[in-house]
Amino acid sequence: MSASEKIKEYKNALRVGWFLAYRQIRHAGKGTTSLIIFIMVLTFLNLVVVSGLLVGLIAGSFQQFREGYSGEVIITPAPGRSYVENSAPLISYLENHPGVSTVSPRHSTSAQILGTLSDLPEKNERPNRIGARLVGIDPGREEALTRFSRFVAYGENLRPDQEGYILIGANLLKKYSSFADANIPGLDLLKDVDVGSRVRLTITLTDGAVVRKDFTVKGVLKSKIDEVSARIFITDKELKRMLPINQEQFQEIAVRSDYARAPALVSELKEFMGSHAALIQTTDQAIPSFLRDIETTMGILGNALSSIALVVASITIFIVIFINAVTKRKFIGIMKGIGISPQAIQFSYVLQALFYGLSGSFLGLILTFGVLKPYFNAHPINFPFSDGILVATPDGAAVRVIILVVVTLFAGYIPAKLIVRRNTLDAILGR
Amino acid sequence: MIQAKGLEKKYGQGELQVVALKSLNIEIKDREFVAVVGPSGAGKSTLLYQLSLLDRPTAGEVIVNGHNTSELNEAEKTQIRLRDFGYVFQDYALLPELSTIDNVALPMLMQGMGLGSARRQALQSLARVGLEGKKNNRPSQLSGGQQQRVSIARAIAHNPRILFADEPTANLDSQNARHVIETFAELHRSGQTIIMVTHEQEYAEQTSRIIAMKDGAVVSDSYTPSSN
Repeated sequence: MSASEKIKEYKNALRVGWFLAYRQIRHAGKGTTSLIIFIMVLTFLNLVVVSGLLVGLIAGSFQQFREGYSGEVIITPAPGRSYVENSAPLISYLENHPGVSTVSPRHSTSAQILGTLSDLPEKNERPNRIGARLVGIDPGREEALTRFSRFVAYGENLRPDQEGYILIGANLLKKYSSFADANIPGLDLLKDVDVGSRVRLTITLTDGAVVRKDFTVKGVLKSKIDEVSARIFITDKELKRMLPINQEQFQEIAVRSDYARAPALVSELKEFMGSHAALIQTTDQAIPSFLRDIETTMGILGNALSSIALVVASITIFIVIFINAVTKRKFIGIMKGIGISPQAIQFSYVLQALFYGLSGSFLGLILTFGVLKPYFNAHPINFPFSDGILVATPDGAAVRVIILVVVTLFAGYIPAKLIVRRNTLDAILGR
Repeated sequence: MIQAKGLEKKYGQGELQVVALKSLNIEIKDREFVAVVGPSGAGKSTLLYQLSLLDRPTAGEVIVNGHNTSELNEAEKTQIRLRDFGYVFQDYALLPELSTIDNVALPMLMQGMGLGSARRQALQSLARVGLEGKKNNRPSQLSGGQQQRVSIARAIAHNPRILFADEPTANLDSQNARHVIETFAELHRSGQTIIMVTHEQEYAEQTSRIIAMKDGAVVSDSYTPSSN
């Protein structure tokens, strides 16, 4: 038989196989069909959601880091430097860049904060004082970049025109800290400090001079981002007045841009900066590598767990097709007897398996992207260190659809082949 | 024309071996209506399976229109069965998930015909057996006699050279059985070659030729008065 004749024969077998499969599916019990498709949907969800949630544990913290602190691009001092060089032209460039929506420059320095204004502790008692990172923010810009006010769990946010007010991260206060009961050696928390308390800020300058000022606690910040919940915030106007710093010497510049465009923006900024020193990174680059490793490990773990579901699904399809074919062994023999090719009969079972796989995948896709992903975005899983989200991308889902369909095809093909190749007459006579 | 030369079929081995056919030589010409009769175990159905290429003989040859089929592989035999043969089985053998018209159209689809053409031809075939009004019914919605007539319609729809029928009236009441035999007679009158296995002498006498078998051998082979 020539190649073209073989192709024609296969196409015809596929056509007859489709003819039979369509009618077999229509004739099958709706309950059984629904159950099999339901199993396929669960398998698909297992493939996507299990690994998606495990990865989402970490990805949630990355997303919070980006949304609540760094923006898509974060600019910090180069190693060995104490500020971002060429800050003013850089900020002007960013503010006029079409790909940038918001910029929030921040001053920051180390500081000590005293919880009780009297610095005379009792004998054997540690002073109610801790060290923390002090950040000066423009409340309006910070609000535009991170929606900063959502972190104010108690009290109120800073206003640009106010002075003498401070926001303190919850993890610095014994009353609100997640670590208050942990008794971790070396971890100091401020006691008896709450909204309305008076505290004293002390900054030691590089030349040894000490700057002190009293503030009223206006609000307490609660977030799973350490850069928010373990820092203290005042307005940048007030910080600049306290410190003899150059107006242009920012320690952090957070940039809101399009996530996909961030790498290109980083390249453009590096080119703009030329010889001026600064560390310009996307959020992904700024995240510590060990967290990336954890993310990868979670993904591998998720895929391993999903593989088990895949095996279960393939066995299910195998059994369904096998039982279907075994109970119809006589009819398979009759079809072969009247001249229906074994390939056509095999195709009919493979196409049925394909129907189950595709139906399950289609419904699984709708559930994943139409229900689960929006749900977890709106109601993330509340973990201590992050809000767990569901990480699911169209590309990743497409790969899983292909895997499920291929596995289903094999699971349908093997039992069909086993049954169809049995002796025709034996099948007809039930021997 | 179909010929059996030295056709033998044995089952099992050694002391347990059963000789179902003993070196048969038979020739069936075009347009003959042949009944193969005999007691149970005579080898009637075994002969039918060999002639219709559903089984492989232990020895001997089956020659179809001058071609020796013993040299053909399974795929080639399937092609002959599809193109040149039609089958009517004892228990109707209709596919339950297909409608009547789709059951009849199936072999023609396998031959490469389009669905529309296959269905039109299937409808004509159903009309020949008087069941065009039942084209959309499923087999479970038909009586035994109707199902057997649909089976006949499927067997003749693609205009086969030879129609094989294995005890086509065995599961039918006498009225339906007579209808089936009348249908065969009508097909024979229009030129169809038919080889039918039957227990019923009454029905055998309505054919043109009777081959009687016993213990795997042909004991008589004669033309009936109705063959004239």
